[in-house]
Amino acid sequence: MAFAPMGPEASFFEVLDRHRESLLAALRRGGQEPPSGGSRVASSSEVLVSIENIIQDIITSLARNEAPAFTIDNRSSWENIKFEDSVGLQMVSHCTTRKIKSDSPKSVKKFALILKILSMIYKLVQSNTYATKRDIYYTDSQLFGNQTVVDNIINDISCMLKVSRRSLHILSTSKGLIAGNLRYIEEDGTKVNCTCGATAIAVPSNIQGIRNLVTDAKFVLIVEKDATFQRLLDDNFCNKLSPCIMITGKGVPDLNTRLLVKKLWDTFHVPVFTLVDADPHGIEIMCIYKYGSMSMSFEAHHLTVPAIRWLGLLPSDLKRLNVPKDSLIPLTNRDQMKLDSILRRPYVTRQPFWRKEMEIMADSKMKAEIQALTFLSSDYLSRVYLPNKLKFGGWI
Amino acid sequence: MEGTAVAVFEILRFLIIHWKCDIDVSKGALLEGQLEISIEGLHSKHQANALHCVTTIASAGSLFGGMVLKKFLKEIQSILPGISAKLTWTSEEGSYPQDMTGVTPFQMTFERCGLAMSHRLECSGYSQVDEKPRTLMTNCLVIKHFLRKIIMVHPKVRFNFSIKVNGILSTEIFGPNFGTIESHCSRIHPVLGHPVMLFIPEDVAGMDLLGELILTPAAALCPSPKVSSNQLNRIYSVSIFLYGPLGLPLILSTWEQPMTTFFKDTSSLIDWKKYHLCMVPNLDLNLDRDLVLPDVSYRAESSEGDQSHNMDPQGQTLLLFLFVDFHSAFPVQQMEIWGVYTLLTAHLNAILVESHSVVQGCIQFTVDQVLEQHHQAAKAQQKLQASLSVAMNSIMSILTGSTRSSFRKMCLQTLQAADTQEFGTKLHKVFREITQHQFLHHCSCEVKQQLTLEKKDSAQGTEDVPDNSSRELLADTNGQAENKRLKRGSLRMEEMRALHSARAPSPSEAAPRRPEATAAPLTPSGRAAFKAHGRALAPGRVSPGSRLKVTERALRREGCGRRCGPQAAAEGSSLRAPLFPQDVLWLQEVSNLSEWLSPSPGP
Repeated sequence: MAFAPMGPEASFFEVLDRHRESLLAALRRGGQEPPSGGSRVASSSEVLVSIENIIQDIITSLARNEAPAFTIDNRSSWENIKFEDSVGLQMVSHCTTRKIKSDSPKSVKKFALILKILSMIYKLVQSNTYATKRDIYYTDSQLFGNQTVVDNIINDISCMLKVSRRSLHILSTSKGLIAGNLRYIEEDGTKVNCTCGATAIAVPSNIQGIRNLVTDAKFVLIVEKDATFQRLLDDNFCNKLSPCIMITGKGVPDLNTRLLVKKLWDTFHVPVFTLVDADPHGIEIMCIYKYGSMSMSFEAHHLTVPAIRWLGLLPSDLKRLNVPKDSLIPLTNRDQMKLDSILRRPYVTRQPFWRKEMEIMADSKMKAEIQALTFLSSDYLSRVYLPNKLKFGGWI
Repeated sequence: MEGTAVAVFEILRFLIIHWKCDIDVSKGALLEGQLEISIEGLHSKHQANALHCVTTIASAGSLFGGMVLKKFLKEIQSILPGISAKLTWTSEEGSYPQDMTGVTPFQMTFERCGLAMSHRLECSGYSQVDEKPRTLMTNCLVIKHFLRKIIMVHPKVRFNFSIKVNGILSTEIFGPNFGTIESHCSRIHPVLGHPVMLFIPEDVAGMDLLGELILTPAAALCPSPKVSSNQLNRIYSVSIFLYGPLGLPLILSTWEQPMTTFFKDTSSLIDWKKYHLCMVPNLDLNLDRDLVLPDVSYRAESSEGDQSHNMDPQGQTLLLFLFVDFHSAFPVQQMEIWGVYTLLTAHLNAILVESHSVVQGCIQFTVDQVLEQHHQAAKAQQKLQASLSVAMNSIMSILTGSTRSSFRKMCLQTLQAADTQEFGTKLHKVFREITQHQFLHHCSCEVKQQLTLEKKDSAQGTEDVPDNSSRELLADTNGQAENKRLKRGSLRMEEMRALHSARAPSPSEAAPRRPEATAAPLTPSGRAAFKAHGRALAPGRVSPGSRLKVTERALRREGCGRRCGPQAAAEGSSLRAPLFPQDVLWLQEVSNLSEWLSPSPGP
């Protein structure tokens, strides 16, 4: 079914179409190998058996008069992470581990909490119900202490069992929004149409369950901030540059937003671009979408889109557009540290243009938000900046 | 306590002082050696129902090889006037009692007379004085207690104490249990308090000391909270041990009535109300028990209105060690130390009364530290129990919720349980045993072994970096920092000595009667811990170092001549098993204590 032809003429998308062709060619050359290692979608019975095997191992240890312990991969250690062009950051196959012992004062509580959450997961899977990480925390907030504890343990369990979090029947709360030329059917049969209007659609919590995705989009634009996303909605950007899809994770993206971006790429191979602030935080968010995060590297294959390109706001744009200095913000010490950290990451060496942009930022010691472009006009972003960038291939 | 015991005390004390001062024992090194004490009683020919007793004190090895005989005799005679000593010295060529073969030539003979129960101690076995059996037994018990107290502070000194009555030999060895392997640390873990200077009342007659008396308290709970599984035990009793210079037990002139003015008031040392305790003097001190007898004992009584107060007799005992040392800017002479003992023996009560505020302050602080440790240990134990409870409930939840019979069957079979209820009971039991066992190992006595084990896990690290949820469990209850505190504590003692050296009076001056207020206790930040063999100190526990008590019949039956009698002296070195890591660590730690207790060599 065709969408209402409200966008620019076909020639506008020539560069985009060529870019898409090059991406598809690269995919064909890469062989589209299926993801190896990492987590997978497991059936309920597989999850139950995995948990029972863990319990069995514990009881066997006890019967031998040995204190049981969990062996957990060191997910957040650079020594256990490698970079691959086709995937981004992912865990190495033989990574270092640590033991969570039941007989150590330091770790006995964590040992107990892992078992606690395993038992909760067991019940969720058995009853085919779902809960969010927040729900789990609130079952006994005093016991868990804080949400971060629960989040880390759930990730550890997902990594330990090598199954996706969804397979554990634990949902992450979606905070992302999506708008544009997209429709799909959710697992429960709900039909969703993201056609751009005054409001956007919330990213669904069950990405694995959505089906029948349909789109004519020429590109997907990932917007860092909700403020910018809303601005573009108000400016009717989706219709002006139709057909396209716009999505935001409202800052650091949640798992579902990342899963949806990945699903859109895997399904349609539509060029994906990011629109982030010209600051280290924005660059880092962009890297999460493109290459993944350290903490979730064990699920990289399901989350990363290495084909993402940086559309804006580039540090070089600030000079090119003569953005006035009073619209710029000095880098803080924290910004400097983050920038240095990003520059040291393995994937930056593969992106000379990105590196150059970051070096421009480091040299100028200044950063800018996308809203800095309003000095030219209030709708400069949607009316001039983005259309020009998309038409003339202004991405890196 | 009759003259025999007193004489043995004085001689042993004299020997150890001589040993420490005159023999070249490097500062900080532990006294090491063996002394034989034997009492032989035979039916008296002169008196009915009496025993003719001969006591021998001898040394093994060359402990006193440098001793000058004449000087020694002169000095010992001056110390034992009440015994009207007639000292003789048997040479190497002299005859010895048969049981003493293999012992070096040092043996002592002296005779006391002029008292109703006069007693002659000699090595030759000939006595002219008789003694009632009951008196002999009492004296032996008192001597044993004295020996136990010595080895608590001098762990490398070994005493072979044998009693032979009408041919039946009984021997006990007092000394460290080398070679025994403990499954977990059962020692007490004392906390050393900071030293304070004692004030000597002006009306106390005696020698003019060219130095200061320093009181250093040490406190511990027994059984150690690290061992005790009942974390909520209240303190049931208090045992106080008094030591003088060089870590030798003090035998007060009023020892049979220990509740002198100072100790009679239980609040003189510690404000018990702070801990919601009411202490009363415990006068029921039975000599005839195989435990170390405290010099002063209190027991807790329930305070009025405190219904929750648990007077569980299985509760913990607070052990309090009071070390009174002598520090001087000048080299301390042997007789000077002896004089300090004389002063303390006769006037400790008056000195403590005079120094009441500083004494109470430093002891209170030390006890606070111990109880705080106890509290932390109890908290850690509670957290452990809570965590284990969560873990076990989670396992049970999965087991009982599983629809896979093979899984349930496998679990039950593994723990040999007939049903889930029995499985739960066994799960609880085995979990508790395993984790308790490991927790008990988290003790500074085991720290070297533990570090060795953890190094082997280098490829697979243990959870060293806790997340937020386990930070609370990081309370240092395993005492791993105790070694560092020990070293800081010894430094603190050096500072103290330096302080006193700087303020030491000139030789013409007497010891200060009332030092300035700067003699207030030092800051506690450098407090140290020391460890003592404490297995004998709790009610119902085995006496420290006491190895074997056999009769001659048993000797013949077992063919065991190794551990008993004087032959043990000759074979002692070959019997000693190699030192285990925990013993090496213990000895290293106690060597610091010995350093603190030794007299200051002066600037």
